[in-house]
Amino acid sequence: MEHNRSRRFGWRLAKSGAVLVGTIAVTLGIASELKQTGPADCTFQANPEQFVRPEQAIYREIFRRAQLLQAGRKEAARQTVAAASLPVRNFVDAEIFGRLAREGVPAAPLSSDEEFVRRIYLDLTGRLPSAEAVQNFLRDASPDKRNRLIEELLATPAYVDKWTMWMGEWLKNTAVSTNVNRQPNGRNAFYRYLYAAVERDQSLRDVAYDALAARGNNYDGASAAVNFIVASITPMGPIQDQYDTAFANAASTFLGLGYYDCLLCHNGRGHLEEVSLWGKAVTRLEAMQTAAFFSRQRIAVRSQRAGVCEATESCLGMFYYNSFDVDDRVTGAYGLNTNFGNRPNRTPIGNARELTPEYRGTGTTPRTPYWREEFAELMVKDPMFARNLANRLWKAVFNLGLVEPVDALDPARLDPANPPSGAWDLQATHPELLEELAQYLRDVNFQIKPFIRLLVESSAYQLSSRYDAEWSVALTPLFARHLARRLDAEEIHDAIVQATGVPASYTVTDFPNPVQWAMQLPEPGEPRGNPGNAVTFMSVFFRGNRNNTARRQDGSIQQQLALMNDLFVLNRLRVTASPVLRRIAGIASPEEAVRQLYLEFLSRAPSHAELAAGAAHLAKATSAAQRNAAVEDLAWVCVNKIEFLFSY
Amino acid sequence: MKNRFGFRGFGLPAQPFWAKPVLGRRMFFRHLSSLVGGYFLLPGRPLETVARAAATPRASARNCIFILLGGAPSHVDTFDLKEGAWTPRTFNPTSYGDVRFPQGLMPNLAEQMSDLALVRSIRARAVVHDLMQTWVQIGRNPTSALSKISPHIGSVVSIEKTDPNAPLPAFVALNGTPANGSGYLPPVHAPFQVTAGGALPNTQHRDGQARFDARLALLEEMDSEMRASQPIGPGAAEMASWNARARQMMYNSAIDNIFVLNNDERQRYGNTAFGNACLVARNLLQADLGTRFVQVNLGGWDHHQNIYAANAQLQALCRTFDTGLAALIRDLKQLGLFDQTLIVALGEFGRTVGPLNAAAGRDHFPQQAALFAGGGVRGGRAIGATDELGRLTVSPGWSRDRDIYAEDLEATIYSALGIDWTTIRRDDPLGRGFEYVPFADRDLYGPVHELFS
Repeated sequence: MEHNRSRRFGWRLAKSGAVLVGTIAVTLGIASELKQTGPADCTFQANPEQFVRPEQAIYREIFRRAQLLQAGRKEAARQTVAAASLPVRNFVDAEIFGRLAREGVPAAPLSSDEEFVRRIYLDLTGRLPSAEAVQNFLRDASPDKRNRLIEELLATPAYVDKWTMWMGEWLKNTAVSTNVNRQPNGRNAFYRYLYAAVERDQSLRDVAYDALAARGNNYDGASAAVNFIVASITPMGPIQDQYDTAFANAASTFLGLGYYDCLLCHNGRGHLEEVSLWGKAVTRLEAMQTAAFFSRQRIAVRSQRAGVCEATESCLGMFYYNSFDVDDRVTGAYGLNTNFGNRPNRTPIGNARELTPEYRGTGTTPRTPYWREEFAELMVKDPMFARNLANRLWKAVFNLGLVEPVDALDPARLDPANPPSGAWDLQATHPELLEELAQYLRDVNFQIKPFIRLLVESSAYQLSSRYDAEWSVALTPLFARHLARRLDAEEIHDAIVQATGVPASYTVTDFPNPVQWAMQLPEPGEPRGNPGNAVTFMSVFFRGNRNNTARRQDGSIQQQLALMNDLFVLNRLRVTASPVLRRIAGIASPEEAVRQLYLEFLSRAPSHAELAAGAAHLAKATSAAQRNAAVEDLAWVCVNKIEFLFSY
Repeated sequence: MKNRFGFRGFGLPAQPFWAKPVLGRRMFFRHLSSLVGGYFLLPGRPLETVARAAATPRASARNCIFILLGGAPSHVDTFDLKEGAWTPRTFNPTSYGDVRFPQGLMPNLAEQMSDLALVRSIRARAVVHDLMQTWVQIGRNPTSALSKISPHIGSVVSIEKTDPNAPLPAFVALNGTPANGSGYLPPVHAPFQVTAGGALPNTQHRDGQARFDARLALLEEMDSEMRASQPIGPGAAEMASWNARARQMMYNSAIDNIFVLNNDERQRYGNTAFGNACLVARNLLQADLGTRFVQVNLGGWDHHQNIYAANAQLQALCRTFDTGLAALIRDLKQLGLFDQTLIVALGEFGRTVGPLNAAAGRDHFPQQAALFAGGGVRGGRAIGATDELGRLTVSPGWSRDRDIYAEDLEATIYSALGIDWTTIRRDDPLGRGFEYVPFADRDLYGPVHELFS
């Protein structure tokens, strides 16, 4: 367009003009910098400048700086590429790049090694790579180094910590929530269960089954999965409210069908017309019939009122005080006889005074009296189970689901072989891809590791987040670039701890040993209190509470104030406290010190301008104390750089 | 504001026609990262909002102080007094015109009765704390399909009334976390949460201002390239803008004076967390640095047991509430801010009526009452009336002639602040349109005009 071309030409003109002016300024500046200060050692090797005519020295310096400028500009200009030219490593790439090519949208280039190493460490393990790890990776010349790094990271304990945190968020493990108090014992038992499941890469099908059908006490390791169903306790209402909550939670968590919470109160008709093609045709009766699978569950709390202990003293002495026992009756059904509580009245339908279970969609009825187990078996075979898990796991590394929101999937709009008609369109941004991912997840038995491996080995995941063509909101769901995400509060905490080398140590209620990394905390409610300001620091990053407050990636004023001024950060940015900063302060060459600092904090090499500015700041120091202060300043700058907060 | 062509762009930056993005609502639906997060994946708000000009807001107030009495205060012991054998003598029920009020429980507010209007015909839809607290703060059913992304009333006020050049956010929350935050609206309209009583945390650098300024200069130099080229994407630009606003708050005596309280004033306001919050609210409005909506949380009203215990429970909370709010009203009048500040105090529902329960307390109950003052409210009276026990509304007291709901109270606040409550924004990620007050096109809910006339 005429308008754009003239704009670009204007830019180029301005840039050349700037270079001209800059060169003149540099010349004048260089002349003063190269003034002799008095030779101590007058040999050529020690002081070559002495033997060169001053003007030549100036010319050489100008040339050197011009080269820096040129190199800097080259570095920045990594253009977008045609999607068809990118290597297709698996079906993820075929789908993503195929779509980009069809729509004529250029893709970002593949990420550089620097970008990749930091991103993969954060996305798989929640931790920064060490400076050594970055350098090793950059120096490695083998063509398959990225895949080998992925394998290496999947086998680390930090991977287990991060994905246990992910499971805890997904299954909402918390000690205290609005309706139920698992107590630290229950939450810890559930945490250990999830940790073990991630560590041995247990099939999520098993985990889902356990969560829905397990029996036993919620403090016991062997039955810790009951902590999921324990959350179905619903006070201020009849027992049917609890069955409804159990089903609504299961449907939202495992099937991505959050609308069942609506449908358990009323028909979809008259409510969901504009949001869910499937939902608008579902009736409350169908929803209750599926909820009936939970109508034989029994959750009993071991409390003083329940008679398990006589008096407060004997209660407090009991390990199982306030724990829950979950089991099932073999008789009973979902009564249509309520007139109070959290949901509208349930009244008989014709002669039917109670409902027996019929699974959603299929109408399958249970063959045994153990209805919760039957539900769990049917649910893990539900096509929505695989789609939902595939979508959530996709979002965990691509930072945007193929379907959003992730708990509002619409079964009537997900099958590319049966697209909806009229004003409705397929819900997923890449419907075929979602189906292929769901199938792949089934093929790998719902194990996280092989699925994540597939995703992060793809070129689509490994695209750069740098996009040099014109970006618009419409390109976001096409994944034309890697979508950056702000790090979670725990990752930011751990990044500062690791980069400064000043360890943390937090006591978690009823954990035998303190934890050293925030990613090892069992829930956002820990640690209690505010040791070292860690809790107030992390909370400005919106950790959520796995109950009624969601975790958020939003920025805020307080976050920036915290990064600049909070003692959690400042106490670590001290040469006296931080072994990393102490080591860097001891490096003689200012440039090398800046480089090392960047490797530790930002996992990359500094740009030419950054290197020059950083080295200049260090070079101003005339004493060791000033040197230390300058290093601390640069470390502060690194923590406050915008990129520090992101996985990009 | 008008752009250079003289067109009124609904507060959005004017864009030349060739650069306008083309986005259908379906594409927009897909863009949302998560309902309440990752907002920076959606830069800018290119779509128009449609203002239904059917309603004329009253615009009698500039500011709003929203006091959430979490836990649900007993309406029949406070704003809708019902006397019986159970009423403690210390309540000293007194008549102020037609209004019966527990003078002994809230003596300072009783003195200001001519400034207060008590709304007694409010009905809660449910009696669950979380649900109803969210309901009254977002002005709609939290379980409805749209509600996960619905902003808090304060965030709507913020997006309508914010001054982008002002140093302080338009929505400030004291001593609590407002439900839903900014919802789908840009995070700049999220509540700025402060625990009242101390200076704003992290507004000073431990190594001194000179060192901070030097570090900041170095940061700007070393981060300028990244910020200019934005390799990370739109999220980075947002962070940079937060950083700029954060710096405005540091070493800023105008802002410090708002949050750092002197002892005499603390005592006058009752020396409680709530009193401190009222003080900060006064300071915020007095300083006029951008804040227009202040939420103050005063929780603990869930008196299922021993509600009338001496110097505890209801009586203690009422003393705290009475001292703080009365001092606030007094100071606002003195500063000339009372008439332009709408004060709303309400809980999420009411409590059981008549004699106490077996634990000498009151349990949840759907009838409730609220207190309104300032901002053009005509005081010294009650809107609506309940039966002799306070069980249900017998006289709604307003033009719609039915119970008042949270949606109506929401519309009242918007109207008072000059916001058209029938507005439907077309920039929501679900593509359904976001109505400031639900069912705006059907006029199911509306402001309680009777409060003002």
